[in-house]
Amino acid sequence: MPETNSGRTILRYRRVPRIIHAVLATSFLLLLFTGLALVWGPLAFIAAGGWSRYLHRIAAVAFIAVPVLYVVFDRKSAKEILVDSFKYDADDVAWFKKMYRYTLGRTAEMPPQGRLNAGQKLHHSAVIVFSAFIVTTGIIMWGFKSSLSAAMLAWTAMIHDLSMLSLALLLVGHIFFTYVYQAWSSMATGYVPKEDMELEHKKWVEELAQETADTSSP
Amino acid sequence: MASAFLLDMSRCVGCEACVVACKVGNELPTGRQYIELIEQTSGTFPDLSGGFQNHRCYHCTDATCVAVCPTGALFKDDGLTRLNRDACSGCGYCVQSCPYGVPKMSDGRSSKCDACASNVSGGGSPWCVSTCPGKALKYGNRDEILAEAKERVAALKTRHPNAQVYGETQAGGLGLILVLPDDPETLNIPADPPPTPEAANLWKNWVQPISMGSTAVTVVGLGVLGVIARRNHVAEMKEIEARQAASIAQSGADEGGDDA
Repeated sequence: MPETNSGRTILRYRRVPRIIHAVLATSFLLLLFTGLALVWGPLAFIAAGGWSRYLHRIAAVAFIAVPVLYVVFDRKSAKEILVDSFKYDADDVAWFKKMYRYTLGRTAEMPPQGRLNAGQKLHHSAVIVFSAFIVTTGIIMWGFKSSLSAAMLAWTAMIHDLSMLSLALLLVGHIFFTYVYQAWSSMATGYVPKEDMELEHKKWVEELAQETADTSSP
Repeated sequence: MASAFLLDMSRCVGCEACVVACKVGNELPTGRQYIELIEQTSGTFPDLSGGFQNHRCYHCTDATCVAVCPTGALFKDDGLTRLNRDACSGCGYCVQSCPYGVPKMSDGRSSKCDACASNVSGGGSPWCVSTCPGKALKYGNRDEILAEAKERVAALKTRHPNAQVYGETQAGGLGLILVLPDDPETLNIPADPPPTPEAANLWKNWVQPISMGSTAVTVVGLGVLGVIARRNHVAEMKEIEARQAASIAQSGADEGGDDA
């Protein structure tokens, strides 16, 4: 199927970002599970044999590779997502004030949003920041654990664990909104119903229409 | 009421009977041992003096290993530091953090003296204590052990003016009370081991329980909210569709009216 917009659906995520998202999701879940095995008694038997700790390192490489994959295979999306995620406008501020409504499944009175709504921007930027923390502390513990003092190790492990806690809670929220707004198709096929976008990302739909008009008019 | 070991280094002859009894009694496989005699020499040749450390778990009250253990495999019980190897994930934080360098990794899990918990609960005494031929080892109520250690030191003072009790205050008080004929440094034992890092206590007492709690609350809370929010959103979409249909019908009716 060619990746173009038909009348009733809009292409929201191209193939490369979808694959990278799958790499991120898979590696993250593996890291969460194998990491939990290290710090949670009921799962400790998995880690004690050693294999889950190798899996943790393999998944860590995939996790660290995500930004690299983005830059190599889809620089345009990488730039878009980075710029979009850290730029807020007045509508975004207004959106945050009404975020409780969005959380309750009500979108009708939400301020108009661009390609990413304000919550998604916050989610992305939080994921980027906490991932930076977790990768840094993870590399320290992977490569330099034996040269850390007891206090340094305790602090490093704590930052690592708290970053993972934050990311895990963000994931719960991510799954929550995916379910409430039935957004699975944006990552499965890349296409989403146009009527949903007109309601939830009005400014983006208008932008797309403008672009189409621009390219077809001259 | 806590229990403790007495280890009288003025009586220990370094026969290694405790090492063997511990290893055999606890059925430790090759490569694992809880007690190790480590030779110490000081001075420069030819003016050398020698000794050895009877190296084993010191059973700290303020136990760094317990604080850093994320799974609770290491825990305090009866003043002693026990290890439940089944709950150990093999993270190695205890190996890295013990101020005395006691826990070792073995077969992917931590390994250290657990004060012969099973012997003692059955009314017996730890293997090392029951086998010591020099009466250097004793096991019992910590207060009594400490009192005896002080008596032994008082008696030693005539021959060893530097004789001292080690373990009354170190690391919050040790479960292994040593009678030392000389300063601890002569046996390469730290006079005052570093305390448990604040970060480890913070992690154990606050971060871990709060993490568990917040995860559970978030999952359950958003799970319930998800059902409600989904229902709201479906209702909202239906309402919007109905309104659109009505407005189309209305505009159709209006157009029809114009035609007429």
